[in-house]
Amino acid sequence: MKEQEIYADLSAKFGDKIIEFVEEETLNPTVIVKPAALDEICNYLKDSEDLQFDSLMNLAGHDADGESDLSVIYHLYSTSIKHYITLKTFASRDTPAVKSIAKIYRTADWHEREAYDLYGIIFEGHPDLKRILMEEDWEGYPLRKDYVAAEFYRGMRIEKVK
Amino acid sequence: MIQSLANWILSFDILAGMGNPVAWGLSLFVVSALIFVFVALNAIVLVYIERKVSAFMQVRLGPMRVGKFGSLQTVADALKLLQKEDIIPQMADKILFVIGPWVILVASVVTFAAIPFSDTLLAANMNIGLFYVVSISSIVVLGIVMAGWASNNKWSLYGAMRSAAQIISYEIPVGITLIAVVAVVGSLNLQTIVIAQGGTGNLFHWIPIPLPNWFVFHDPFLFLAAFIYLTGATAEINRTPFDIPESESELVAGFMTEFSGLRWALFFLSEYANATLVAFLVSIIFLGGWQSPFSTYGGAQVGFSILTLLAIMWTVFVKIKAKRLSIFPVGLSLVITLCAWLFPGFALWLASPGLFWMLLKVASIIFLLMWFRWTFPRLRVDQLMYVSWKVILPISLINLMGVAVWMWLTGEIQF
Amino acid sequence: MGRLHAEEMVLNMGPQHPSTHGVLRLKLRTDGEIVSHIEPVIGYLHRSFEKHAENLEYQMVTPFTGRCDYLGAMGSEHGYAMAVEKMMGIELPERVEYLRVIFAELQRIASHLVALGTFGLDVGAITPFIYCFRERELILDLFEMASGARLLYNYIWIGGLAHDIPPGFVEKTYEFLDAFDKHVAEYNQILTGNKIFIERAADIGVMTPEIAINYGVTGPSLRASGVNIDIRRTQPYSIYDRFDFDVPLGEGIHGTVGDSWDRYYVRVLEMKESAKIVRQALDQLPVEGDVKSAIPRRIRPPKGEIYFRSENPRGELGYYIVSDGKNVPLRLKMRSPAFSNLSVINEIGQGFMISDVIAILGSLDIVLGEIDR
Repeated sequence: MKEQEIYADLSAKFGDKIIEFVEEETLNPTVIVKPAALDEICNYLKDSEDLQFDSLMNLAGHDADGESDLSVIYHLYSTSIKHYITLKTFASRDTPAVKSIAKIYRTADWHEREAYDLYGIIFEGHPDLKRILMEEDWEGYPLRKDYVAAEFYRGMRIEKVK
Repeated sequence: MIQSLANWILSFDILAGMGNPVAWGLSLFVVSALIFVFVALNAIVLVYIERKVSAFMQVRLGPMRVGKFGSLQTVADALKLLQKEDIIPQMADKILFVIGPWVILVASVVTFAAIPFSDTLLAANMNIGLFYVVSISSIVVLGIVMAGWASNNKWSLYGAMRSAAQIISYEIPVGITLIAVVAVVGSLNLQTIVIAQGGTGNLFHWIPIPLPNWFVFHDPFLFLAAFIYLTGATAEINRTPFDIPESESELVAGFMTEFSGLRWALFFLSEYANATLVAFLVSIIFLGGWQSPFSTYGGAQVGFSILTLLAIMWTVFVKIKAKRLSIFPVGLSLVITLCAWLFPGFALWLASPGLFWMLLKVASIIFLLMWFRWTFPRLRVDQLMYVSWKVILPISLINLMGVAVWMWLTGEIQF
Repeated sequence: MGRLHAEEMVLNMGPQHPSTHGVLRLKLRTDGEIVSHIEPVIGYLHRSFEKHAENLEYQMVTPFTGRCDYLGAMGSEHGYAMAVEKMMGIELPERVEYLRVIFAELQRIASHLVALGTFGLDVGAITPFIYCFRERELILDLFEMASGARLLYNYIWIGGLAHDIPPGFVEKTYEFLDAFDKHVAEYNQILTGNKIFIERAADIGVMTPEIAINYGVTGPSLRASGVNIDIRRTQPYSIYDRFDFDVPLGEGIHGTVGDSWDRYYVRVLEMKESAKIVRQALDQLPVEGDVKSAIPRRIRPPKGEIYFRSENPRGELGYYIVSDGKNVPLRLKMRSPAFSNLSVINEIGQGFMISDVIAILGSLDIVLGEIDR
């Protein structure tokens, strides 16, 4: 199924929970969805007979400029029908909350932990949301564009990144 | 040997005054020292050989830098180990930690007291030699559990537990296998067992192939028993494929994890002492010990001619199969055969029993153990127990009965 | 007499452990030898690849990608270069495409050799490991000939290659391929068919297709479960649609489909297929062509984003790149295959013994460099 048709299907089903469809400026046509509806949309994408998106290839956090909202990007793939769709959702910088899909796609478990670790995005309903790559007591979320590294970590000087 | 040494000391006029007890003590000390030196040197040589054997099996060269062909590498390593800092973990049980390696070492060294190296070279001619060796060598497990427990390390504990379970399980089939041999000889004396294997006889009593009277050729059951014993003994000395107590890819180093320096060297020493002991026992019990395979004059020439023939066949086989020429076995056996035909004295020497044959057999068995180690993967702990209790133990029990029936059939015993 | 008190023990396997293939820590809850829960703790090798990438120009990221998956550096570089090229719409000369495929497939063989060898090592067979490294050495020699480096190449650049191959390279590669088939037979003799090895690997850590897909397991580990997904086939990139090769699947010859033995054997078969591809690519390799002709002077992908995936030795290697039109990526996320492959270990490893957990970990073939990035 083409991404356009998937978008039509989704917006018919979910109405205003689907915000828009982006085709320009991206090589993976993207459906932008509301963060609070993410789990039900993914459930539908996975269980629907026509869609069968059984595999989450990638989940990435993203911070565009250090001021606007954070975003999370989901790349889905269907191993049986072999089609793709990209979902994108925005979360406000101060209270970045997105519904977790770790129980739908187990891949998301670690990837969400990584996005939490590096962007501080809170995935609601995640079974065990804690840092995965950085130390548990690390301060701040390093991949945010406005991140400023602390001077010391446990008494060790942190080298400055320009 | 102790007695004869004491007598020899007392035969000197100057020393005769020291009295019997002193001479006895002195010879006791000398013999013990000799055994210990043998074990220590043996370990150094075997470590070198094991490295070289493994290297050749793995298309590499092995140690090459220290000494000619790296021959002094293990000496250098031993020196390094002696100089290392003596580390005892803070939370370890210090007394047991220190005693553990020594228990293992002592248990594996003192067993050599009963081993007949040749018809005369024997520290103590015990009439319960076999029983002594088997029982003393099982003390090793005590040392392993001590070392593993005292390390206060989870890996060590796992290693010690595995080791205890393994050694105790395999002792039963091994013991039963040995009983089968004892049933044939009617003695526990290792020297008697070797002497009983002298001369030449038919294969399995009836098949007219003249072979040495070794127990491995005595009957089909003992033939099988030799393999069972080798398997069980490999498990008892924790060598691959049964090296689960120290399986380095799972338990880091098992019960040796926390040890370093001299204490670690002791483990190594006893490991190779144990391997040698097993090789000795296999040779003594199944392969005729210090008996020569060519026990009569004439036998040596004919025997080596047959060996040369076999070597030539092997070379041709290798040439066809792998397209490469290996002349070493042919060359060696050809030289020996020629010498045997040309010099009757050499043939006689080959035919006579002695230390040479003992060590040759031991070396072959040790090579076999090394071959196992560098070829097989490791079994899992439950598979190991399965092999012991459900496969080897029933077979060895049936073997024991089979040996008895066989002896009744051949008329060696009557009811 | 009081009741015997028994409780589970937590065993920390790693970060320093001979069989965790790097600095990985597995928190095992054990009941005797039986493992009831496995919690992988990662991040000990985190070198901030993504943070670095956001501060480096596109062409400067290439060497970093190799350092993530240090056993499949050519594959990582290839994937990254293709992603950026796709964003910029670069058309490559034929010769570059063929050479890239040759290197990527040689790299796959080299990486699988390490996987086989270390799996053997994990179950206690030491000799196959050295055999595997013997062949890997030959491949590394080829790489050294071409790029000058043996592990981290920085050879596949955006829009081309760092250098053309030296004279004699093609002949040497043919030589290697001729010898390689015999060597694969050797591994099968010493390890694949070994009874103890089969006992240790068959029926251990069975991964059903549902679990594998749901956990995002990719690559040989997924195909061992019988799922026919190879990105070189399902979504051919570069010039993979021109070659004739099979996608080996797990068949459960000695146990269940998707057990550790299958994961091992799929890799053995895949090496043969890769050798086949390399041979075809060498046969068809165009003689003419400048490998640097398509390298852009300025690498400034237009504003936009891409998720590009390619088949690495370990599975699906995806690059998610966001560009804002500058010469530095705004966001570069590497979706590393081993990251997802490792996350499945608790699901398939529960209820097995400590030794089996080691075997399962070995059969998953992880590289901590790309897990932690």
